[in-house]
Amino acid sequence: MTMTDTSASDDPAAGQANHDEEEEVSATTSWVHRIGLDKYSGLYLLAAFFIFFGITESNFLIWNGSIEFVLTQEVIVVLLAFAFLVPLTTGTFDLSIGATMALSLVIVNKMALETDLPDGVGALVGMGACLAIGAINGFIVVKLKVNSFIATLGMSQVIAALIRRIHDGGNITSAFGDSYINFGKGSLFSFKWPWSETIIELPYYFFFGLAVAVGIWYVLEHTPVGRKMFATGGNPEAARLSGVKTDRLAWGSLIASAGIAGFAGLIYSWKFGTYTSSVGPPLLFTAVGAVFFGASQLKGRPNVWGTVIAVYVLAFGIKGIGLRYPREIDWIQPMFEGLVLIIAVAVASRQAIVKVNRRKPASSDDETSRAIEHEVQPSPLSGFSNDHEHPETHN
Amino acid sequence: MCRPPLGESVSNLLVVRDLTKSFPGQVALDNFDIEIGAGRTHALVGQNGSGKSTFIKILAGFHKPDPGSTATLAGQTLHLGDGGEAEAAGVRFVHQDLGLVDTLNSVENISMGAGYTTGRFGRINWTADRRRATEGLEALGFGDVNVDVPVAMLAPSQKTAVALTRALFNWEDNAHLLVLDEPTASLPGADVERLFSAIQLLRDRGVAILYVSHHLDEVFEIADDVSVLRDGKRVTTLPTEMLDHSRLIELMIGHKLERLAHQSTAKVGESPALAVESISGGTITSLDLTVRPGEVVGVAGITGSGREMVAPFITGQIPSEAGNVIVCGTALPNYDPNAAIAAGLAFVPADRGTQGIIPLESVSNNLTLADVERNWRGGRLRHAEERAETGVWIDRLQIKTAGTEIPIGALSGGNQQKVLFGRSLRLTPRVLVLDEPTSGIDVKAKEQILQLIDEAASSGAAVLVVSTDTDELVQAAHRIVIMVGGTIVAELSGAEMTTENVEHAQLQSTKATPA
Repeated sequence: MTMTDTSASDDPAAGQANHDEEEEVSATTSWVHRIGLDKYSGLYLLAAFFIFFGITESNFLIWNGSIEFVLTQEVIVVLLAFAFLVPLTTGTFDLSIGATMALSLVIVNKMALETDLPDGVGALVGMGACLAIGAINGFIVVKLKVNSFIATLGMSQVIAALIRRIHDGGNITSAFGDSYINFGKGSLFSFKWPWSETIIELPYYFFFGLAVAVGIWYVLEHTPVGRKMFATGGNPEAARLSGVKTDRLAWGSLIASAGIAGFAGLIYSWKFGTYTSSVGPPLLFTAVGAVFFGASQLKGRPNVWGTVIAVYVLAFGIKGIGLRYPREIDWIQPMFEGLVLIIAVAVASRQAIVKVNRRKPASSDDETSRAIEHEVQPSPLSGFSNDHEHPETHN
Repeated sequence: MCRPPLGESVSNLLVVRDLTKSFPGQVALDNFDIEIGAGRTHALVGQNGSGKSTFIKILAGFHKPDPGSTATLAGQTLHLGDGGEAEAAGVRFVHQDLGLVDTLNSVENISMGAGYTTGRFGRINWTADRRRATEGLEALGFGDVNVDVPVAMLAPSQKTAVALTRALFNWEDNAHLLVLDEPTASLPGADVERLFSAIQLLRDRGVAILYVSHHLDEVFEIADDVSVLRDGKRVTTLPTEMLDHSRLIELMIGHKLERLAHQSTAKVGESPALAVESISGGTITSLDLTVRPGEVVGVAGITGSGREMVAPFITGQIPSEAGNVIVCGTALPNYDPNAAIAAGLAFVPADRGTQGIIPLESVSNNLTLADVERNWRGGRLRHAEERAETGVWIDRLQIKTAGTEIPIGALSGGNQQKVLFGRSLRLTPRVLVLDEPTSGIDVKAKEQILQLIDEAASSGAAVLVVSTDTDELVQAAHRIVIMVGGTIVAELSGAEMTTENVEHAQLQSTKATPA
């Protein structure tokens, strides 16, 4: 395409037209664009799983309500992934989310078991404890200027210690009353596939999770706060100099993250009604992986619905593989999760590189631009590797 | 101090002949010749863009010269543009940024350049390396350096000494050339003296030094010979004794045609919109200035004069140690860009890559960042209105972009800069602070940006322009203040405000005002 001086002074729609024209240029990549293989690879993969496993595994679509099982169980992972996503938008890592989830779970169980207070009070205490953890994380990262990766890794162990102090390690079962369980688990919605007798029921907590998703999506994509969070993640110093209160956003996002993780713990308590010491931290990889896989979906940066897609692609894929190779699933599951993450992000990075290279002709009037373009090398995640450091001076 | 005069008795260590280097649209070096005497300290001076750095870069092998040049080092042919060969032949460099790894200690930094002493199985012999480092530093009069702490904890002059020690490793004093590129640019006064004693020690050992600096006082203090560059040509090489300060400045500036000072139509108001009172910190000792509505004030000064910290202090980019910034009667809190913006001060920072753009965010998101709330109504960000507003700014600033939604990182430097201007102008600021507004952008974009500065002033903003580009200041400003040694030493306006006078004033002695 050619970009001339005159086109710049046309109305913005002309610029857009040029942009569209440009999309047609490369025949090799245009079909990938047209069917959206770059941004919707997760949805294609999901459809492929349903078709393949739906045909080969007669149980896939009906087995013991397997769709219901995956949809509801994965709400916990989705929330944990959101807990990682929210601070990540500001360039802050929170690795303590798995432990934070376990903290709210152990508190709500322990209080239900050992006090006469209503179970809901235990849930509120658990949430309060998690929010306090988030506030402390924020203090360590913003005020003590500890790298968020290290701060939350350390906090993760501190929480693990607190959990052992609260409870000696055995399982807690049947601690809750019916009213507490029904509050989260009661069926709100049910439907039936035409080809199956199994009734699929979606409980309240599924919709709680959906509400959290809509809420985060709204804040990130449709409010000034979200815009500023992404700006902070993209270039903290530039954002600060534009008047964005970057420290406050990083701190707030860590509190939100701990709150979301705590809520994931409550959902676990509604779904399973138990506490075991193996809950929480082991879900960290799946959650973090889903956020990065999700960043390759829809938008080219971490986002809510991409994360949701990523969680369910992985979950249904594993469910299908588990039905087909029941004895092998033990090792296939981590292999599958790891490979899907790597491949999806590698493909997305390549797409982004192609995109910026194609745009170069529009913009090569001086040396500096090229130097900067190199720095922008556009993995969808590269903007999120910045740390919260402010250079002292400039030269 | 008394050295033999340059003449037949002194043999030349480095001789360069007919060196030309052209970049697209510009000749950086034009048949440049230079001879550097063995055992002499040779200063290379010239204004920004005179070709000094191009010469150093060719010597270091970053650039290849155009064909036709010849060079010899100690009688041996030297192929310019080949960094490895220059290094092997004994040309060593200490660049302005020193190239030290701040988190490693002095021993490790020195070994990194000099190579590690290894024992059996490739184990590093730290005892030997440590001895080598301390001996090297002692030889420069820096025996007090604690070689076991990270170099970040050392004094600035000590860091320079570490870099010097590393450059001098494995060195025959009279067969090699040491190139010091602006070694004092970031050194406080007392540290400069220590560095000079080290250079004195090297000189006494017979080391030939090529010394590049903007500070003419330093040139007179330590150089035996001076070469003056102007517009890519050598004007002259003379022994320092044969020059004085004003003669040297005259040689550097030459007799260029002056551009006419800018004829601004803006009507200047009475009471200042921006008042800076006794700001200090970093390289600034004390700064006082005012800018009235409709007025464009330029700030000039060589690197190290404090000029580079004026905008960061005023806008809250870095914390100042003392003083006040007052915008339209409101005193700004220290180190708080948000409060500055709220008070009506908008800012375009010097380094757009690290301080300006959010590279992966769209042009629209970048442009609206300083006031996102404007398009936030009824609980939703109105994306369509943001795009429309961005479209208007794209037209008005003539930004070349393939749309409002593409990442700003894909735009050229000049167009990125225009988006950042849009980000500031959109706030209709009462005070606009511009730090190096045209650095690294092409001529056409530069003209447009000068136009925008005029428009902003005409509409009543008080504009402060900090720049190393004197022509640009003369064109844009009503008056120009000159920084030397951390404070304002002169102010030029009206007919006095010429490129020549401004550059003259910048090079005035720094000795009067201790750094």
